[in-house]
Amino acid sequence: MPRRHDTPLWLLFAVTAAAMPVALYLIFVRAPEELVMGAVQKIFYFHVPIAAITFLSVFVLLAGAVGYLWTRRAVWDHLSVASAEVGLVFCTLVLITGPIWAKPAWGVWWTWEAKLTTTLILWLLLAGILLSRAYAASPEQGARVASVLGVVAALDVPIVYKAVDWWRGQHPIVFGPGKANPLAPGMLSALLFSMLVFFLLYTSLVAARMRLAAVEDRLAALEDSAWRSQ
Amino acid sequence: MKSYSFLFWGYLVVWLGLATYFVVLMRRVSRVARRLDALESRSKAGDGRSAT
Repeated sequence: MPRRHDTPLWLLFAVTAAAMPVALYLIFVRAPEELVMGAVQKIFYFHVPIAAITFLSVFVLLAGAVGYLWTRRAVWDHLSVASAEVGLVFCTLVLITGPIWAKPAWGVWWTWEAKLTTTLILWLLLAGILLSRAYAASPEQGARVASVLGVVAALDVPIVYKAVDWWRGQHPIVFGPGKANPLAPGMLSALLFSMLVFFLLYTSLVAARMRLAAVEDRLAALEDSAWRSQ
Repeated sequence: MKSYSFLFWGYLVVWLGLATYFVVLMRRVSRVARRLDALESRSKAGDGRSAT
């Protein structure tokens, strides 16, 4: 039975779960097949939204990290840990779906191309943030180190975004300044709806992870005071 | 649709994986919150005894 505090979270999750089959319908039934790539282009409706959500999680992580370093208030740290963990999950999915497209398109699963390499660096930074918390001498030290690493991870995002322009990489650029929209109407609506579903999912996951961090902190503080009073 | 079956099931597996992650998080929340409630009610009971 969900607690009263958790009901809005379960409602948001229910809306997200209901939207998932609609996105599948738009992607596999409504969106036309791309002429050159064929079926494998359908990865695009998944890969692009999760890459965008990875960037969003790093910006939210940055807000949490700066907020914590500035104010030392726990709520900023909860936001930071939640977005780092969820961001790592999404970044992992980017690194899995990318090679599934790359194998038929480029003939290789992986190449040390600029965008791929900088995305792998982002993944390592996000993993480093979680490891630095897990192995810190105290929760405060872990939060401080993770916040500094969060700022570094955020610096990598514009590099990932501009990598193809700066180093003339092979990775395709579908959207961006000065680029005409190459998508057919059915493709664009499927992409936008898929992006909305992943955004709702990201919001549910970050809110749930923040709530977990808050109750864990409260429990640790209470256990600590009970232990001291003995 | 037939030629997309591999991708369709791949999408479904990832979404179900993310949904499971949410459910696991919420189960952890309710487990920790239950422990928190128990500890808070125990400490309130202790405060009540020491006040009398």
